[in-house]
Amino acid sequence: MVRQGVHEETRGGLEHDFNLCELRAPSTGSTDLHRSQAGLFSAVASAFIIEVNSELRPDRRDETANLLRVLIYQVNSTALGNHIPIIPPEWSGPSRAFVAVQATLFASLATSLFSAFLAMLGKQWLNRYTSTDMRGTAIERSQNRQRKLDGVITWYFDHVMESLPLMLQIALLLLGLALSRYLWEVNIIVACVVIGVTSLGVTFYVFIAIAGTAFESCPYQTPIARTLRHTFHWIYLHTPHPVHVIISNLIQISWCCQLPGGWWSSLEQPWYSTTNIVTSLTCIALIPVALLVDLSRLVPEIVWSLSQDQPTSTSPQIHALDQQMIALDLGCISWILQTSLDKAVHLSTLKHLQQQMLTPINFDPAIVAYCFDVFIGCINVNGCEVVVVQGLEQLTSVSALCLFHMISHLWVMDPTSGALRDVRQRYNKIFPANVTFHGHQFFQTMNAIHQVFIQSVGRQDFRWGHYKPPSDEHTLVAHTLLKLAQFGYKRMGQAKVPRLLLRFALHSLSLDPLPPAPVIADCLSIIAVDLGCNISNTGAVTLDERSVHTL
Amino acid sequence: MEQISNLITEKMKTMAKAEDYHPLQSKRKAITTLLPYAIRLEKDGQPEMLDTFLHAARASKEWELTWHRTWKYARRLPHKASPRAFILASPHVRWYLLTDDGDLVQEWAAAASVVPYTEEVGQSVVDVLLQIMEVDELAPHIPVGMWSWLIRQPSLPPVCYGRFIGTHTYIFRAVRALKDIEILKSYLLLVWSEWGCIQDGNSFKDMCASIWKYFSGNGMGDHRAELVQRLDHILGQLDQGLDYLKQHNPQLGRYDLWRMKSQYKELKEVLLEVERCMFSLISYFSHTNSKLDIIQWFGRDVCLHIVNSTAIGVKVLLLYVSWVQ
Repeated sequence: MVRQGVHEETRGGLEHDFNLCELRAPSTGSTDLHRSQAGLFSAVASAFIIEVNSELRPDRRDETANLLRVLIYQVNSTALGNHIPIIPPEWSGPSRAFVAVQATLFASLATSLFSAFLAMLGKQWLNRYTSTDMRGTAIERSQNRQRKLDGVITWYFDHVMESLPLMLQIALLLLGLALSRYLWEVNIIVACVVIGVTSLGVTFYVFIAIAGTAFESCPYQTPIARTLRHTFHWIYLHTPHPVHVIISNLIQISWCCQLPGGWWSSLEQPWYSTTNIVTSLTCIALIPVALLVDLSRLVPEIVWSLSQDQPTSTSPQIHALDQQMIALDLGCISWILQTSLDKAVHLSTLKHLQQQMLTPINFDPAIVAYCFDVFIGCINVNGCEVVVVQGLEQLTSVSALCLFHMISHLWVMDPTSGALRDVRQRYNKIFPANVTFHGHQFFQTMNAIHQVFIQSVGRQDFRWGHYKPPSDEHTLVAHTLLKLAQFGYKRMGQAKVPRLLLRFALHSLSLDPLPPAPVIADCLSIIAVDLGCNISNTGAVTLDERSVHTL
Repeated sequence: MEQISNLITEKMKTMAKAEDYHPLQSKRKAITTLLPYAIRLEKDGQPEMLDTFLHAARASKEWELTWHRTWKYARRLPHKASPRAFILASPHVRWYLLTDDGDLVQEWAAAASVVPYTEEVGQSVVDVLLQIMEVDELAPHIPVGMWSWLIRQPSLPPVCYGRFIGTHTYIFRAVRALKDIEILKSYLLLVWSEWGCIQDGNSFKDMCASIWKYFSGNGMGDHRAELVQRLDHILGQLDQGLDYLKQHNPQLGRYDLWRMKSQYKELKEVLLEVERCMFSLISYFSHTNSKLDIIQWFGRDVCLHIVNSTAIGVKVLLLYVSWVQ
């Protein structure tokens, strides 16, 4: 927890930060908009329902007029000309078309009303969510807020809220269908206009749904696109590899690709020859077929784009009692680093992060960027020289160490991580290759990071080089890396510890003088893990307290 | 810490004892990572981890068990390790990565001179000697006296990088240039092995020529006999088949076996030819009591011609030569 770390004087800053922004939940403003839109739809649907409702009952005025015509005809048979009125048959109920229209309209109305109901509830939920609890310490309030956020994710709150516009869209579609059908009965020309516009709308919606599913970067995202993406993603994960190969082979034998090539190669001289004309006509005739076949290309494209979201591995279940609390704390830390501008808050948070026994299962890659932001905020780069802003020396050192921890975590978990790539790009923009960190407390740490980001460009190599940190830092790093080694070993199917960790052990064990005993123990433990030893009984991993003591 | 050290040592022992050497090969990086620490422990009077490492390294049947990342550490070995540890660990140093470390060679030689001789130490020194000879930049730094380690003829293990590269032409020529028949014979006895063929074709030709040149003189009979005995032993081992050989050196293949057989048979033929030639020539000269080194005097081709001919003119010529002498 950020228990002891956050001091009372930071309380004000934290309270300010609570109100800065809400990250993931939809805003109450959008629910208001939904409510008003739902009301508008309901009103429109109601108007048509009233209009169509008359078709569901016998029309007494028409019946009376017909009977009057019959009476007039019987009194004066020439009064109506050649037209012979007949007594209308008894009304046997509304036509099936009107019943269908009315049912559809009512479905539309019910959907929009239900949407309005959910929007109303949603506003209530969001009010509770956004309410700031003024009781308790900043830590408790931070945790409370984090619990709420976790609840939002666990209970798929955002999905429920996103279903509101979807309901309205369904209501609109139903309304369009009902209207088209109704007008078809009334007047076909008018109906065609409505059907045309409705069809256009449906086509456009289908297009953006497909585009949104295939390309996550497409701005026309809809809830359906998101659902489809998840579904295809699931299918992709559960489809055996040979099926993927078959699909890719199908793409390679695409007709649309082969058709023009085949047509061009079969052309003969002169161009107006009978053979050419026949070939061209055949080709044109085959284009629709080829297009149909090539529609299958879209599916692999979608599958491929979805595979980009694929998690790199399944995290192993780490059975620890306080996993949930650690996850909660990390969420708090991420949020505080992201939203707070208070340096004192940053310092206490990062100090807590340092002590945190991170387990990669609950690691948020974005935290690397947050640590980098804090570090950058503490320094100025003048050419090759790094100058620390006065009064921020401690924060700079702590943030550098945290950054180092987070980078090594991410390096082990996912070296190709986008977060790591982004930080690397930013680092390269800010720091020249010949930058020097000499004279600063964080010299060793940043030098190690520098080697990762600058000197090993293209090699994807984590070199420890001349990394000779102070004893306390070394102890902390070694213990963190031991945890990573255990995780990495499990992740690699109990085959290997990530090589960079073995290199760290080699580097540390080769140092002169030898590092402190805890570091040696951790390095040996890393080796033992790679050798497949069970180190749980050796006491080598009961170092949490020890590493905390050395801080 | 002691507990985890013991755990690792026990694990390595188990792996080394196992028949399957693949786990050792696949864990070579982790095992190598221990080397600096094992060397420190050895210096502090706890050699168990280092000994286990060396045992595991041999059991792994790998040319180069060590991780190349240790090469930087190798430079510090003379200062960190005891002479024994330095010598025993030195075969696992990648000397070809240390091209500008002539001083390291000198320090290695100094360490070898103070370590009490054991079979293990002898193996390591000879192995490293041949490895260093491979590196052009390091070879000149080898003290001449180090070559006398060859005379002790330690038995090199089946998988030995030093012996593998030791048959190269330039190494053979360097040994030959010492002009010490004992060293040359010991060298041949070491590098001729059922665990590997002579990789370099030029080297093989040089060896055949050198047998005529250096082992055909008077008083070379014992040396030749030793060499023939060694070749007989090798050929006997080769006759046991590839499966037997692969148990000790899994890197051997059918082609290697065929090549070894043909090479060692040919070498034996050369030695026997020299022997026959010497026998014939000595019989011609038996009554002259000449001290003439006949083959050296006439050369290989003339001698062969003499041996294969019964022409009276040749005999007259020989008598004339002996009279001149």
